[in-house]
Parts: sequence; structure tokens; C-alpha cells
Amino acid sequence: MAAIPTASTGDIAFLLIIFFMSTTKFDVKEGIKLVLPQAAEVESGKTQTLTLTEKEMTRIQILPDGQIALNREAPRYIESSELDVIIQQKVQINPDMIFKVITDRETKYSEMIRVVDRLKAAKIEKISLSTS
Amino acid sequence: MAKFSTKKRRDVAIPQASTSDIAFLLLLFFMVTTVFVQEKKFWVERDRWPHAESIERIPRNHTSTIYVMRDETILLDDIPTRIESSEDVFISQTLIRKKAEDPELIVCFRTDRDTKYGVMSDIMRQLQDANTLVVAFETQPLLK
Repeated sequence: MAAIPTASTGDIAFLLIIFFMSTTKFDVKEGIKLVLPQAAEVESGKTQTLTLTEKEMTRIQILPDGQIALNREAPRYIESSELDVIIQQKVQINPDMIFKVITDRETKYSEMIRVVDRLKAAKIEKISLSTS
Repeated sequence: MAKFSTKKRRDVAIPQASTSDIAFLLLLFFMVTTVFVQEKKFWVERDRWPHAESIERIPRNHTSTIYVMRDETILLDDIPTRIESSEDVFISQTLIRKKAEDPELIVCFRTDRDTKYGVMSDIMRQLQDANTLVVAFETQPLLK
């Protein structure tokens, strides 16, 4: 009686498994998570104007060429390691310090991410994003 | 001369009859779970994302991805769009609908690292209008 040889089915199946295991790519999403503030309702009068001093808020302005101006200081290139030190100093002054990241419309996105990444690395929760 | 009785060795064999069944089950699992990433016309490759160190995992099931190309073309739900004036509200309208379907919606940005920040700012304003406030900037690990 003619019969199809089935001895190698297991081998074939394992070969196919190896193919699928090596080609499968799990698309994991990783990144920096932020929660945006609610849209300001100007007409309803619900918005409040607060005046914050340098002790309460640090302005980090990123210029189009990547230079960073802290508060009222002159803009300059700041390395990530130096940025870490500056953030630590600010947090020591006030643990509830708000960091306002002001990015110019012409600035590269990666520059903004670099600053926000350093803030996140320092476990800063109060980050404000705005544009100039 | 004394005779030692030798014990008969038992035949120990692992049953192999079901190997192919197990293999096919595994095969089916991988075939079902494999998602082939489709090449889109507009696409921001992973190596174009910015680098960051403090990255966290984002649950996939509540996410919606916005691609932002270097030329400021935005891709949401496979539909390319641009924000050139305040009347271009495609993003906020799409996200209002998505937010109604999934209140825990997280918007993920896959943005080219050389994109100018202005377009990101415009998109985030539309996200605020749509009340989708949780955002994630997708990044790749920092090169050591």
C-alpha cells in the first residue's frame, strides 16, 4: 500500500518554527511619557495668572542652534552631564522646582528630547513645555 | 562458582510520537502572533528617532501613533496631513473620536529627530483641544 512518509513532519515543523521565531519582531513601544496640561479656557475666566520667581521655576530656553539659556543667563552649549549637575543644584534649592522648557519653533526636536530626558532622569515631575 | 544474577535493564524511552504535534502547536502560536510590519510610504525609521536614557515601556493596547516626518508631514491613521493654518484640525478631530472610543488613549510620537519643534508644538496644541493629554515621545536607547 502506498503511504506518504510522515517520519520527517516533526523536522519540517521545527524548521518552520525556527523561521517564525527568528523573523518575529515584537514591536515594543518605549519612550518618554508626559501628561500635557488641559487646554486653557480663556473665555470662561477659569485661568489664573501666577507669577513665579526663579526659586519656584527654572526657565530652560533652547535656541534654534541648540544653545541653552537658563533663566536670565546668556545662552551657551550645555553638555548632558553638565545639565544633570545644574538640575540637581536647582532641586537642592527647591525640591518642588518647576522646569519650564521653552523650545524655539526652529529648534530640532532631538534637542528638546535631550533636555526633557535629563529632567526625567532626575525624577522631575513638574515639567512644562512651551514654545517661543 | 557463585552466579550473580544480573538485573535486566529496563528500556527507558521518551515517547516521541507527539513531538511533531507539539512542534505544530508552537508553529501555530508563532504564525498567529507574528505581525509583519508593513512598509508605509511615509515612515520614520527607528534609527531616526531621538536618543534618550530615561525611557519607560508604554502599554501598546491604548496607543495611537503619530508619525512626524522631517518635512513636517504628519501621518495619523495612515492618512498624511499637514498643519499649515489654524483650520487644519484633522488631528484634533480624529483624536476626539479615538478618545471617545478609548478614554485611556496615549498618543505616541514617532518623530524624526531633525524635525523642527514648531510642528510638534502645533500637534500638541491640537491634542490639548481633543483632551488627549497623555503623550509619549518614542525614543531609542542612548548610545554608550
